[in-house]
Amino acid sequence: MASITLPVGGGTQSGAAEAPKLRVSDFLRWSVDHKIIGVQYMAVALFFFIVGGTLAMLIRWELLTPNLDVVQTGTQYNTLFSVHGLVMIFLWIIPMMAGFGNYLVPLQLGAKDMAFPWLNAFAFWLIPPAGILLIGSMLVGAPESGWTQYPPLSTLYSGDGQTLAALSIHLLGISSILGAINFIVTIKNMRPAGMGWWQLPLFCWATLATAIIVVMATPFLAGGLTLLILDKIAGTSFFDAGNGGDPQLWQNVFWFYSHPAVYIMILPGMGMLSEVLATHARKPVFGYKMVAISSMAIALVGFTVWAHHMFTSLTPELRVPFMITSMIIAVPTGIKIFSWLGTIWGGKIRFTSAMLFGLGFLSMFVVGGIGGVMLAAIPFDIHVHDTYFVVSHLHFVLYGGSVFTIYAGIYHWFPKITGRMLDERLGKWHFALTYVGFFFSFFPMNFAGMLGMPRRVAYYLPEFQSVNTVISISAFVLGISTFVMLYNIWISMRHGKKAGANPWRALTLEWATTSPPPSTNFIDDPVPFHDPYGYGDKDSQAYLDDIDKRFGVGEDVPVPRPAVQPAASGD
Amino acid sequence: MASTTPSKPSSGGLQTTTIIAVVVVGILLIVGGIILGQATPLLFPQQASAEAAQVDNLFHIMLVIGGAIFLLVQGLLVFSMWRFRARKGETGDGEPIHGNTTLEIVWTAIPAVIVFVLTILSWQVFNSLQAPKPGEASVVVAGARFNWAFTYNVPLSILGYEVDETLLPPDVKDDLADDGTVSITSATLYSYVNQPVALAMDARDVIHAFWVPAFRVKQDLIPGRTTTVRFTPTVADTYPSGIQCAELCGANHGIMRADIVVAENEAEYNKLLTPILESRLFPPADPVVRGRAILESNVYPCYTCHVLSDLSSANWVGNVGPALDGVADRAATSRANATSQTAAEYLYTSIHEPGAYLVPGYGNLMPQLGVPECDVWAMVAYLATQSTSGSAPFEVVQPDVCIPQVSGPPGSEPPPAGEATAEAAAETEVVPAEATAEATAEGS
Amino acid sequence: MSQKTLEQGLSRHELQDLRNKRTGLAIFQISWIMTFVCLIIVNFWMRSSQPAWPPAGVEVDVFVPTLMTIALIASSFFMRRGVKALKANAIEQFTSAWRIGLGFGVVFAVVMAYEFITAPGSGQYRDVYRLMVGFHHVHALAIGYYLIRVYQNGRAGHYSPTNFWPVEGGASLWDFVTVAWVLFYVVLYLI
Repeated sequence: MASITLPVGGGTQSGAAEAPKLRVSDFLRWSVDHKIIGVQYMAVALFFFIVGGTLAMLIRWELLTPNLDVVQTGTQYNTLFSVHGLVMIFLWIIPMMAGFGNYLVPLQLGAKDMAFPWLNAFAFWLIPPAGILLIGSMLVGAPESGWTQYPPLSTLYSGDGQTLAALSIHLLGISSILGAINFIVTIKNMRPAGMGWWQLPLFCWATLATAIIVVMATPFLAGGLTLLILDKIAGTSFFDAGNGGDPQLWQNVFWFYSHPAVYIMILPGMGMLSEVLATHARKPVFGYKMVAISSMAIALVGFTVWAHHMFTSLTPELRVPFMITSMIIAVPTGIKIFSWLGTIWGGKIRFTSAMLFGLGFLSMFVVGGIGGVMLAAIPFDIHVHDTYFVVSHLHFVLYGGSVFTIYAGIYHWFPKITGRMLDERLGKWHFALTYVGFFFSFFPMNFAGMLGMPRRVAYYLPEFQSVNTVISISAFVLGISTFVMLYNIWISMRHGKKAGANPWRALTLEWATTSPPPSTNFIDDPVPFHDPYGYGDKDSQAYLDDIDKRFGVGEDVPVPRPAVQPAASGD
Repeated sequence: MASTTPSKPSSGGLQTTTIIAVVVVGILLIVGGIILGQATPLLFPQQASAEAAQVDNLFHIMLVIGGAIFLLVQGLLVFSMWRFRARKGETGDGEPIHGNTTLEIVWTAIPAVIVFVLTILSWQVFNSLQAPKPGEASVVVAGARFNWAFTYNVPLSILGYEVDETLLPPDVKDDLADDGTVSITSATLYSYVNQPVALAMDARDVIHAFWVPAFRVKQDLIPGRTTTVRFTPTVADTYPSGIQCAELCGANHGIMRADIVVAENEAEYNKLLTPILESRLFPPADPVVRGRAILESNVYPCYTCHVLSDLSSANWVGNVGPALDGVADRAATSRANATSQTAAEYLYTSIHEPGAYLVPGYGNLMPQLGVPECDVWAMVAYLATQSTSGSAPFEVVQPDVCIPQVSGPPGSEPPPAGEATAEAAAETEVVPAEATAEATAEGS
Repeated sequence: MSQKTLEQGLSRHELQDLRNKRTGLAIFQISWIMTFVCLIIVNFWMRSSQPAWPPAGVEVDVFVPTLMTIALIASSFFMRRGVKALKANAIEQFTSAWRIGLGFGVVFAVVMAYEFITAPGSGQYRDVYRLMVGFHHVHALAIGYYLIRVYQNGRAGHYSPTNFWPVEGGASLWDFVTVAWVLFYVVLYLI
């Protein structure tokens, strides 16, 4: 057994490390510690999730009836969904994923911090002012052109709020570029000895793929928004057809960023999912290399599909190439889905809340995926373009996809972040309400869309009232489910059971230290296990037992330890 | 033993059983997909065009394949959850299977083949949707917040009776002289069964999208360019709100709808267009009546942004622009003072050049609608009557070219002879030389 | 100055730090150059929808911008020379090279500001021209200001062969300004 590499190098620090105490005040001020920044990201993102969710509830309340009744004017309704979309994308999913990335990447690499701690903090602190700007934009001449901000509606027909919203998104774009540079440098330069590219945890792979998309695509958003803001405040007319401009220029520039942005939102979630499924099914990720490569393939092909958002506006001859690429991107996505199914096949599945959300993701994401392939087929897309079919599809991939993985990630890593377990019983309620509420909110939208209900309407034909009632009531259930999780976080932070260092007996490096980790993350340079997903490997139990021994086991042991301890391996 | 060792597709001993299992599951999936595919007609609205049949067909194929994949994934998921759950007291890990190259190639190749086939099928359907059809009828569509207008070029022959062309309004004469047809505009899209239609579409302000769910066609209208959409209706029917704007265009985007009427045949179609043509050929003599008729017909989007109680029966309930109740009083007093124009001029400018003078508190949102001169003056005449006192506080003098010579089609009440003659005489005096020459040429 | 000699003076931590900064700056440059590429695409998009580009009657003066482009390249060249001198511990040469580089840079900035103000043509042509020149100028001025600060610090003796990152990084940023401008120069004046 002497060949086993132990997590804490050489055992020079044999004394059990003391987990630091977290204080709320640490999170309210400037800090360059990636763990604090990660939590700051997550807290701000959760706050904006509530804001965006409230807007969604207002939208669904309004849509209970075919005519305006909750809000006074169509413009107000347009503002609701425009800000809902912008908040959910730029202030909830992207920062939340960045939060997980910040917290986990250095830990998974066994590093002390990110490559540029100061830059990291700066990128985070751009978010609160941008968020205030975006929410404030609702008060000064509502932004009412959707999250896509198509000119000339956004430039010539919307108020000053539109300019503020564009500025806010500009700031958020810069924040995410700075964050991405940090991720790439950290992952490329700061891997520990013994961790080659093929020992890199899949969450790091996914974060790397995401960061590459961000640095290559977000500058286009910056360029496009610069033009949009100039059109609004400097009297230029880049998008004004009346003065020699072209509104379609915006569509191309915007979607060249915003389609890859979809992968910015889903890839980190897919990375988290690989961690969660492997850990809770106690089995290696099936086809690790293909899962890693498919992240990169999605990132790459993702740059070539943007114009499928313009199948009803693009010159007809140009549409077909984008159909081909959009179809192709289904292949790496399919590889991932089947690899995850292969991962749980033959495992010892433990139905923790994290795992339930992971499995829920598989079940829901495949619906979004199938819808996505249907939308890639131009003739069908022409019919359902800009209808509730698309609303359904995008929520299946962003809610059933990204948000389910975020939930899975929260249940999985909350013990590491706080040192306490989330309540599993509440977690299961949360899952059940979310799953049911989500499915019945968004699946019926497919029917509404195909039967003729366009998206972004405050008024609809009376024949769609029954389906909208079902959707709205389910959406309220979905809204309530969020508070179950928030309540769970609230009480578990103080009263949750002690987690210990490695409650799930996971092999990646973030578990080879105390929960929460000390400010330098590790007492000494940790040595990664030779396979981040080596579950079932004969040496893995010894490695995990060593972690238990050094850092202690929590009060509650969700993953039972083997009855027979391997005879004192290290000492 | 069997319950703890997961079966692996590649295990040598299980070869035959595996093959049988795969075949059985495959058949079940195909059957399941086909059963799900049966739902296709329920998911779509009425199938009322040649295009709709093609699109529905394509969707049917995708639903069968997608349904099978859906069942496969959910089936594997539920099966694994049950079969590979950790039993009470179990502490070990699953088998360390890291992958299976054959399996990975299979699940890369099969989706690749599926999307390849779907791409080819979609391509074919798309080409046939886009292809120009022989004998296409052409209709010009204008989209403006928040209304659709359809312009048809029709020959006088659809009337079924002779018309004295020399007595037609001058703009109609010009129109006829161009190509032998008169353009007429309606807020309703008319067509007839099996007649291929190509719509040439322009957006007057922002991007709109022309969508007919029953026809399964959609195309954006983009300012600065003319876009085309083609369809061939196959079911004679009236489609109330059959057209729906599908691209967010502002406050009342949701009610930017229009009706479609598909006639049985060309004769019925012509019958539908006849009253619209007649109202253009024989406009009412009284400009107030004419102006009201124009605004009531909803061919201009005024009603979607302005409210006017006199026209509330014609949906004049918009809330985006200034309310028009009592507009004549305001034009005569405060607005005329602020713009140093006469009240009539002010109203005219506000329609013709909407950005010139803005009512305080309102943005420059009204587009240039390209309303013909005489229609603007008729609207001004009508709006001048919208005062609290009930009578026009100021006079609107119609330009001479806008005074019609005849006031109704044959068979209707003829205008008083004297008045008509007087007007005709007045007209002769002001018509420029070349117009007279043209009329003479046409007559000869 | 070769990499090896440099390493002698640096600790393991400092080396890692330097490596990170180099990679980070390179990625930032690759990323941010995409914004300039975006504007180039805007330029091509605009000209594809115009009957003539530049519009009839607009004379584009190529001579001055060409001189200015050469001045900017020269400026970049001297900045690089300065970095090399600093790493060889020739502080005097470093500041003098940096001074010449800054001089060329200032000439570029002043003349291009004049070109911006007196942009030829009207409508879309002028808007796109000003957009590109102006966008570049904002970057040139911001980075130029940083270079001046570096120069002042350099004269005050803040840098040494083991503390050269602000200088190397500044020169890299200035290279970025040069590369971006050469791209714009080709698009604005040559094609």
